[in-house]
Amino acid sequence: MRAHIGVMLVAACAWSAAAAAQEQKPFVEARGSVKPVPLPPGGPAPRMSDGKVDLSGVWFSGPTGKANAWSVVPDVPLKEDPVPFQPAAAAKIRGMSRTERELNSPGVRCTPVGTPGMWTINPYPHQLITKPGLYVHLIESDNAWNVVHTDGRPHKGKDDLEPLYNGDQTAHWEGDTLVIDTISIDERTWINQSGWFHSDQAHVIERIRRPSMNYLEYQYTVEDPKVLTKPWTSAWRTYSLGREDLTENFCTNNENVDQLEKLNQVEKQK
Amino acid sequence: MRWMFGTLIALLFAATPAFAHHSFAAEFDAQKCSDITGVLTKVAYENPHSYVWVDVKNAAGKVEASTFQLSSPSNLKRGGATYGVLNGNVGKTVLVRGCASRNGEPNRFAASFIKLSDGTLQRVGQDVEGIFGTKIWR
Repeated sequence: MRAHIGVMLVAACAWSAAAAAQEQKPFVEARGSVKPVPLPPGGPAPRMSDGKVDLSGVWFSGPTGKANAWSVVPDVPLKEDPVPFQPAAAAKIRGMSRTERELNSPGVRCTPVGTPGMWTINPYPHQLITKPGLYVHLIESDNAWNVVHTDGRPHKGKDDLEPLYNGDQTAHWEGDTLVIDTISIDERTWINQSGWFHSDQAHVIERIRRPSMNYLEYQYTVEDPKVLTKPWTSAWRTYSLGREDLTENFCTNNENVDQLEKLNQVEKQK
Repeated sequence: MRWMFGTLIALLFAATPAFAHHSFAAEFDAQKCSDITGVLTKVAYENPHSYVWVDVKNAAGKVEASTFQLSSPSNLKRGGATYGVLNGNVGKTVLVRGCASRNGEPNRFAASFIKLSDGTLQRVGQDVEGIFGTKIWR
C-alpha cells in the first residue's frame, strides 16, 4: 500500500506538470477546485475490541480525503468487464436516450438509492460506524441510513421477506473483509446511474475492506438471472478518510425532473 | 516514457468512481456558454441543487431575471461557496459563467463559477465546458 501511494504521489505531480504544459488555453483557477493530492496510507487500520478491522470514519470517493465533485482529475474509466446483460435488458437500456436515462434515474428523481446505490449512486461522502457485530452506513443523499448485523445470521424466512430499498441484509467477516449479502431489493432502485435496472431476483454481495488507516475499498457483485447472463463483479473502488462531518442533505427543491421532462418532449418532437 | 506516464495516471485515478446527482451536460448546452453580468437578487441554498437569480440588462436595456442552477449545498460549502458567502453578495454586481438550458427555456443557465463582488472567482457548479481541467459529467 505504501508503495502504491508513493506511485500515486509521483503521478499527481507528473500529471499537474503535464496538464499545464499540454493545455493550450489555461484552465480557469477558481476557489473550490480540488488538486489531486492523495493521502498517505496513514499507518495500519484500527481494530475493534473483537479484533476485526474498524471501518469507522467519514469516507470520500477518490484518494484526496475531500469532496471530488470539482477534482482536477482526468476522466479515466474503471477497468471492469462489460456487464453481461441479457439481450432484452441490453435493448431496454440502449433504447433510453441520455435524457430518459437521467429522467428515470433514482439519483435525479431523489427516490431512495438503496443497495448498492448507497455506494454507487450517492455522490457525497459516507460515514461508517462499525461495532463488534454491527455495521452502520450513513450518507448525505436524503440523509439515508442502513444498519446491518455482521454476525453472519441467515436472511429472513420467505414469509417475512418484503421488497425493501436496502433489501434484506446479512453480513459476515472473511478475514479483514466485511461481506454484506443482500436479497429482496425493491425493483424501483437501480444498480448504478447507467440505467442498470434489476429484477426481484437480484442478489448483491458487497465487500468492504480498510487496507490502511486512510483508505477504504469497496467492491460489489450482482447476480440477477432475469437481467444478467452471469454474475458480474465490479472493480474495487477507493475511498479516503475525510476530516469533516456529513452535512444535512434533504432533496426538497428538485427542479430537474420538470426541466428534463420538457427537454425530453423537445427532443421527441425533433 | 509515454506508456509509463499513462500507467501512473491509470494507477492514480482508475479507482475514482464518477459521481454526480445528475449530469449538467445532459440538461445544459456546453456550446452555449457565456459570461453574464448583473445584480444578484436571491439565493436558494437547497438540494439537490441551489439556485441564484441575477437581474441582467438585455440588448434593449430592459432588466430580465436570469436563473442559474448551482451544485448542491454539500459541494458548495466544501468548495468555499457557503450560505454566507453567496448571500453576502445579494444586491451586488457579479459575473456568472452560465451555459444555457438545452430545453429552450429562456434565461435559465447552469453556472460553473461566479466572480463575486470582491473579485474572488468561486466554483459553484459542474465543469460543463471543461474550463477548469476538472471532471466533465457526461
